[in-house]
This record gives sequence, structure tokens and C-alpha cells, in this order.
Amino acid sequence: MISPVKVWRHQKEIASYLGKEGRIISWALIRVPPGGYEQEAPYPVVLVELSDKKRIVAQLVDWTKENLWVGQKVKVVYRRIRKPDSEGVIPYGIKLKPT
Amino acid sequence: MKIAVLGVGTTKFGELWDVSPRTLFREAVNEALEDAHLKIKDIDALYVGNMLSGILGGQENLGALFAEELGFSLPAFKIEGACASGGLAVHNAINSVLSGTYKRVLVVGIEKMTDHNPSEIAQALMAGGHEEERAAGVTFPGLYAILARAHIERYKTQERELAAVSVKNHYHASFNPRAQFQFEISPDQVHQSPPVAEPLRLLDCSPISDGAAAIIISNIKNIKRRKPVYITASSVATDSLGLAGRKDLTSLAAAVEAGKKAYQMAGISPADVDVAEVHDCFSIAEIIACEDLGFFGKGKAASEIARGETRLGMGRPVVNPSGGLKACGHPVGATGVKQIAEIVTQLRGEAGKRQVKGAKIGLTHNIGGSGAVAVVHILESLK
Repeated sequence: MISPVKVWRHQKEIASYLGKEGRIISWALIRVPPGGYEQEAPYPVVLVELSDKKRIVAQLVDWTKENLWVGQKVKVVYRRIRKPDSEGVIPYGIKLKPT
Repeated sequence: MKIAVLGVGTTKFGELWDVSPRTLFREAVNEALEDAHLKIKDIDALYVGNMLSGILGGQENLGALFAEELGFSLPAFKIEGACASGGLAVHNAINSVLSGTYKRVLVVGIEKMTDHNPSEIAQALMAGGHEEERAAGVTFPGLYAILARAHIERYKTQERELAAVSVKNHYHASFNPRAQFQFEISPDQVHQSPPVAEPLRLLDCSPISDGAAAIIISNIKNIKRRKPVYITASSVATDSLGLAGRKDLTSLAAAVEAGKKAYQMAGISPADVDVAEVHDCFSIAEIIACEDLGFFGKGKAASEIARGETRLGMGRPVVNPSGGLKACGHPVGATGVKQIAEIVTQLRGEAGKRQVKGAKIGLTHNIGGSGAVAVVHILESLK
């Protein structure tokens, strides 16, 4: 089960990222996803350097093929992370959106 | 440092549905004991390298489990460091011998993966990654695809050069009776295989495998053996767990560091290496490994490998004569120990059709995670 305590604990950290902007450093297009991520596949996972120089790895959403290049500008958004299980909470977290 | 390898043993690698972990373990150990002309009572301690038994099989406490299997209550330990578990087990066993605590130590790397479906395995392997990467839904092929993309951007590495790694390793495995895939593949087959995480395709990736490998090490010279092999360096380095913490995505800093320390410890340079078993979990990983270990300059390995410079009978050093993780198979906990077993076989001149002629110095390179742990060993057949 996805632990509600764990999801709750991560919320403060997640909030500190929201709205930040950055650029793609590298990326991969995931065709064979892990369990719980089947609905979004295929999806890009990008390594981004934010404007405060911090780097993060997250999924790209609302994308087209034209967005998949090194240097593409992105913004941190709040999205559902994965398919929830039947009894647990719905886990939300960080994803990135091309700007 | 000078540690004698008294014996080595491996099982067949592959989809071994009819073989249990206990049987795999016994097979590898019996072969190593026979090779060393020793009995189990001659062994002082057991180190087991394994990553997934807990998360996939619900079984931990492997030290006691496999000691029971040996029928002998010796000190026994499980070492975990993702896909570098085997190499780390060897390193810890060496330290236990160097400290004088034990005289003869058995190291076994083992993994049973094919009981589980690929999606479960992909998820279990990501236990070796960063929590942020798991949340992003990235897989290990995905993490190495990010490294491949960065390498392609900086060095103009070609997809046909990535394919050349898999083609070479399948060619080598065609001479290895224990390999998972004992057949050749063509560059076209790689290009036409389905994408897993672009730019990596199915035939850029190592398979899901079952297998075990065992070695017996000692601080005492084994006079029974005509051509003894010694481990002359064993080094470990770590780096950030996830890719976001790396300064450079075209190199694994932990591998560079472990390599440098190992060369220093053995008093050799990269040019002295005749044969190497490197961690080619993906085609790009072998290219990066050959650069990190100093076999070729930065950005040069891809074209050298494609020209056949690391292929059996063509260049030097020969890289992955066993077929590597790609074609010999990658039972993750077994890999680091199997690499040592292969190099020992090569340095004894007992590798048959895949023998690297005149090999005297060998190296192993075992990586955990996407470069979070690196283990490098150097082996030599001294007079």
C-alpha cells in the first residue's frame, strides 16, 4: 500500500518546488514503464536544471516530440504521480511541463 | 596487496525455471571447491552477494540460509549494493582475509529473477535508485538512456556505435557454453529491436537472468595450482544515488575513482590490461566504462569499439570475453563474482575458444545503480 504518512511527509518538500522554471539537460522516452505507470506510457523522463541550479529528475507532461531537446524550458507542476491502489491515498507530486 | 584465488565456479546463466536458488548456489560452490581441491570444512567464512531475494522472493537472512545449505555453521554474511552486490561481496571477503580474521573465504554471487514478471523486476531493481527517480516512473533502461542522450549530445556518439557493443558481446558469448545467449546478432537486428527507453532498444539491454558464481580466496599461496591467479587490487567508490546529483552525465565518477585507486594499488596503468570484464548492463554503459577506465580517451571509446579494438582476436584490451552482462546474462547479485571467475579462467589460459591469447593482467568493473557504487578489481597471473 502507498503509505499515507510518507505522502504527507513529502508535501512540504514538494511545495518548495512548485512553479520553478528550468531547462532540460538530458531526457529518455520510457516505453516499458514500471508497475503503476502504465497509463501514461510512453512518457519522457527529463533531467532538469532549475533556475536555482538545483537538478531534479521528473516526468514531462503535456508534451509533444518538439519538446524533446536539450535546452527546452520547463516549469514544475503538481500532478498525480501514479495509479493509486484500491485502499491507499492518491499520491500527488512533481512533474514538469514545457513552457 | 596479493590475494590468491584458489578456485572458481559458475552455473549456466539464463532462464533456469527448473532450478531453485539453493541448487544454483550448490552448483557454483561445488565447482569452485573442486577447482580449488578443497572441502567445505576448509572454508572459514561465506560472503553472499545478492540484491533482490528480499524484495522479489520475500527471503532475507541469506548468510544463514546458504550456510545451512553447505551443512556447516560457518560465519556467513550477505552484502547488498544493487548490481554491484557481487563485487562488494568480493571486496569485503578480501578485507576479511587481509585483516587476518579468516584464512580461506568463499564468495558467492547469486540471483533468481525469472520467477517474476518483467514489470515486478523493473520495479524491484529501482529499489537501487533514488526515491525521486522512482516517483518519476523512470526505469534502469531510462536512467541509462539519460546517460546515453548526454553522451550523444556531447560526443556525437552514433546509434550504430551503441549497437556494435551488443554485436561484439553476442559474438563473444557464442564461444561461452555458460552464456544465456550463445548466438550472434547483426547490427540490423539491434536497430530493428523495439525501443525500451529511447535511445536504447531491447538489444541494447542486458537480459533478466538466473545464475550464480563462486570464488574461493586465500592469503596463502596455493602450491597445488600450476598457474595461480592473484587479486592485486580491490577498490570501491560511491557517488550520488540519483542522476540529479551528478556533475557529469557522460562519465561515472565512482568508476573513474575506483579505477584510479585500483591502478595505483596494483602499480599498473590502463595500457597494461590485456582483458577486462566491464559492467555493460546497457550498450552505453560499456562505452562509458572503457572511457572511465582509461582504455580510450573521453568520447573516443564508441568509435574504437565499433572498429573492433576490444573484440576477441582483434585488439586490446579484449572487453567482455564472457559475452558481458548483455549476452552472458545479468543475474544482478552474481555478476560481480562471475566477472572475477571469467578473468581467473582467462589468466589461467583455460577459456577455450574465447581465450584472450597471452593474457596476464585482467580487470573487473562492477557498477551498482546508475553509477552510485563502483567496484574495480585487478587480477594478475604472476610467475
